[in-house]
Amino acid sequence: MRFAISMLSFVALASIIGTVLKQNESYESYIIKFGQFWFDFFEVLGLYNVYQASWFIIILIFLIASTSLCIYRNAPQVMRDIQEFNVKIKEESLRNMKYSSQINMPKNALDNCQQVLIDNGFKVKLTNKDSAVLLSAKKGQFQKMGYFFTHISIIIISIGGLMDGNLVFKAQEHFGVKSIETEDLPLSKIPKTSWLESTNFSYRANMLLKEGEIQSVAFLPRKDGYLVQDLPFTVALKDFEIKHYSSGQPKSFESDLLIKDKETGETVRKIISVNKPLTYKGITLYQSDFQDGGSKLKINLWDLQMKSSSEEMKSEVFKINPITHSGKKLLFEFEDFRLFNILDIEMNGEKVSKNVGPNFTYKVRNESGQAVEYQNFQFPMRVNGAQYFMSGMRVSQQEDFRYLKIPADANNSLQGFMIFKNLLFSSVKTNEAIDRIIKDTSENSTNDPQAFKLSLEKVIQMFISGGYSAVAQSIEQNIPAEKQTEIANTYIKIIFLIANNLVELYKQDNPDDDLYEIDDLQKFIQDALNTLSDRFFYGHDFYLELVDFEHIQASGLQLTKAPGQFWVYLGSLFLVLGIFCMIYIQEIRLWIFKKNNSNKATLAMSTNREHLDFKTIFEDLLEKLNNKV
Amino acid sequence: MMRKLNTDLLFFFFLLLTGAYALYSFHSYMDYYEMVILVGSILGFSWLGKFWQVFKKYFLSVFSISLLGVYLYQGNLANAETNFILKYFLSSQSSIMWMSAFFPLALFTYWFYLFNQQTFYGKLASNFTWIATIMGMVGLMVRWFESYLIGVDVGHIPVSNLYEVFVLFCLITALMYLYYEQKLNTMKMGGFVLIVINAAVAFLLWYTFSKGADEIQPLVPALQSYWMKIHVPANFIGYGAFAMAAMISIAYLIKDKGYMVDLLPAKHILDNMTYQAIAIGFIFFTIATILGAIWAAEAWGGYWSWDPKETWALIVWLNYAAWLHLRLIKGLRGSLLAWWSVIGLVITTFCFLGVNLFLSGLHSYGEL
Repeated sequence: MRFAISMLSFVALASIIGTVLKQNESYESYIIKFGQFWFDFFEVLGLYNVYQASWFIIILIFLIASTSLCIYRNAPQVMRDIQEFNVKIKEESLRNMKYSSQINMPKNALDNCQQVLIDNGFKVKLTNKDSAVLLSAKKGQFQKMGYFFTHISIIIISIGGLMDGNLVFKAQEHFGVKSIETEDLPLSKIPKTSWLESTNFSYRANMLLKEGEIQSVAFLPRKDGYLVQDLPFTVALKDFEIKHYSSGQPKSFESDLLIKDKETGETVRKIISVNKPLTYKGITLYQSDFQDGGSKLKINLWDLQMKSSSEEMKSEVFKINPITHSGKKLLFEFEDFRLFNILDIEMNGEKVSKNVGPNFTYKVRNESGQAVEYQNFQFPMRVNGAQYFMSGMRVSQQEDFRYLKIPADANNSLQGFMIFKNLLFSSVKTNEAIDRIIKDTSENSTNDPQAFKLSLEKVIQMFISGGYSAVAQSIEQNIPAEKQTEIANTYIKIIFLIANNLVELYKQDNPDDDLYEIDDLQKFIQDALNTLSDRFFYGHDFYLELVDFEHIQASGLQLTKAPGQFWVYLGSLFLVLGIFCMIYIQEIRLWIFKKNNSNKATLAMSTNREHLDFKTIFEDLLEKLNNKV
Repeated sequence: MMRKLNTDLLFFFFLLLTGAYALYSFHSYMDYYEMVILVGSILGFSWLGKFWQVFKKYFLSVFSISLLGVYLYQGNLANAETNFILKYFLSSQSSIMWMSAFFPLALFTYWFYLFNQQTFYGKLASNFTWIATIMGMVGLMVRWFESYLIGVDVGHIPVSNLYEVFVLFCLITALMYLYYEQKLNTMKMGGFVLIVINAAVAFLLWYTFSKGADEIQPLVPALQSYWMKIHVPANFIGYGAFAMAAMISIAYLIKDKGYMVDLLPAKHILDNMTYQAIAIGFIFFTIATILGAIWAAEAWGGYWSWDPKETWALIVWLNYAAWLHLRLIKGLRGSLLAWWSVIGLVITTFCFLGVNLFLSGLHSYGEL
């Protein structure tokens, strides 16, 4: 027993390691976390999968063995105790018991006592002794059965658990019959040693199915690789649906599955969801995950660095689109598309969770392999009272996204901003605007108009070529410190003035166009200038506008074959029964010893576990017996 | 004897009628399992009412006050702000606040009683605890109703997040304590048990005011199961019992060291109370863990995933299994077991709260 307890303590300690160290992560992330030396060390100890490490399983086997031994050794004694009435007890020892009393016992009264005891649930046995009679009674022997139930339950549960572990594979791996595949190969290229037959005893495998796709195998992630699990049926995903609450949070994930038996051709169609799995031929299919299944995207490619119109690009999630831009190759790698995005948005001073519509994630990779990650939303979002198209960018996964905010025009579209960008990048248009400003100001000014024009051109050129930071840099280099603030303010005013005139001229030329019928047009222009200034920190020249999409989803299923489950449940039942017996059944033994020639008898009662109310039980019973005598 | 039998029967018929009404009116919203749970609750509460006579009064108080709250809402959630009684007493927020006010009051009064030994103060403290327990339960009941006012598909039993289970923890621990207070006819333990309840209240208040945790959120798909109605309360009977056992053990240890000798109940009573609390807690914790495994098999695809919460539940289980082993098989008594039960509470608290704070896993419903 001491051995069993120390094994149990060891299991507890090992389990703690498993909760502190995140299990079954990718090996790369462990290397990053611990460094190569500790990574190897922990790997040898099997700490990345403690609960399936050989030493852990060996402890469990020892636990089963020692518990079995414990039962084997103690069972005969316990069984004897349960059956036995203890008839050898002496009157002397009865008198010495804590709960003992002398009662009146006329002739034949013993029969009445016997009846009272039987009515109170006792089992009774009369033994004739030399010139005396001993009545032995007992009750609650099932308490001792609790010992059996609890200990057997531990064995049954452990065996059930081992059945569902990966012992068989471990043996196969050890003898070189099977091996883990670590490379990402197409199914047909995966060597047979990494395949597990459909007759495999137990497993927990994963399957990712696109809408409309059919598959006949699942995958088991193992260490730094995987195994292929052949299935006795094929699974087709007819449809995947996410339902939402009115507040936008997900309410259910549902996969419409069609299962077809490989042997009989029998089909089963069922919608499964979280908490509502489907079991077919001992294999249970669970809704466990979901992701994009290669949604089709229609995109407008906008160059933010020059006067241009958009180019159309068609792609899909998980697809890579190469383009050549100013003689260099760029790769657009599309990674994800999400139809619903619930964000906390401020509305009327309160934070509200709201669906802000679709977004997509992509990386732009240059020739040297460096990539910038972007996340763009299809529709503008309200931020501080105005609508913006948001585009997040980051250089590494560890960073948070930084956002480029592009102001939306009166039609909530990008067009207003893009036209403005082209106006600013057109020297013809900026010259027109500058001329207009000079005309407006020359009437009440003494300045030399030509010099003024040159300075306006210089400022706007600076802004176009490097944004506000270029303007600031030039001021820092060329202007004495005490005048810098004043000049900076003037330059900002000039840039804004030109921008404003560009828009005014555009409105004059296109009177039917209502793009700039915005309540606060000044703010729009201000924002547009900020965006153009920020484009130098955007990583690449292109902004990708999501025009249209076809949403294709993929559902993540888990397939479990767990023949041990029945045994674990059975063991659990025994466990509960056993604990009930051990704690709530009180074993009571009672004796009445009467000498044949006496009208008195000695009564004694004992229990192996004395609770507070045992005294009351004793007194109650004594009273009942006295009444009957 | 006759009278007692009659009230038990009356209570049973009352529950039967209420249950029948619920089944008749709302059966279209229930699945088969939920109907079984309803019938089970009728039987369970009837038994509890017979086993512990005062429970009937408690049940009826909570029942009638909660119904008043439900009635005052008139099907409109906005009434929580406009109706006087709802705003200050019966909306779930307010009644849980009343609970949070009465538990500290009860704690102070219990300690006052402990040193002053006048029965009046003990009774007063006991009544404060009862009021807190009634208000807290009313708060949960009304919250249950409020969740349905937000949206029929949002409605759910309020045991789905850390805020709700903390209220549940306070209530269950307090009710268990009140049972023993009556059974053992001593009010001297209140000052100890109420400490752990008030610690939970303090956390609850912090959690409400700094994190806005009291907001009702719709259930994530993994929690949409009838199992939640059984698994979570069973678990919290376990946690509550272990917490109570630890507090009584502290009293035991204080007495063992020779302090407050005249003020506290006899050592064997404390020892026995600790045992009974751990025994009942152990049964429920075992059942809760097994039910959790069955639920996990349905929701996560495996009855045991070595998820941190599962693993720590196993550790808690092993800990108390060892405790009971030593006491029942080896016959051990005294300060070692008392210390052990106090340490048990530390392990239990880690399982209950620490796992959510420091570890991540499948049980991430109650993250801070």
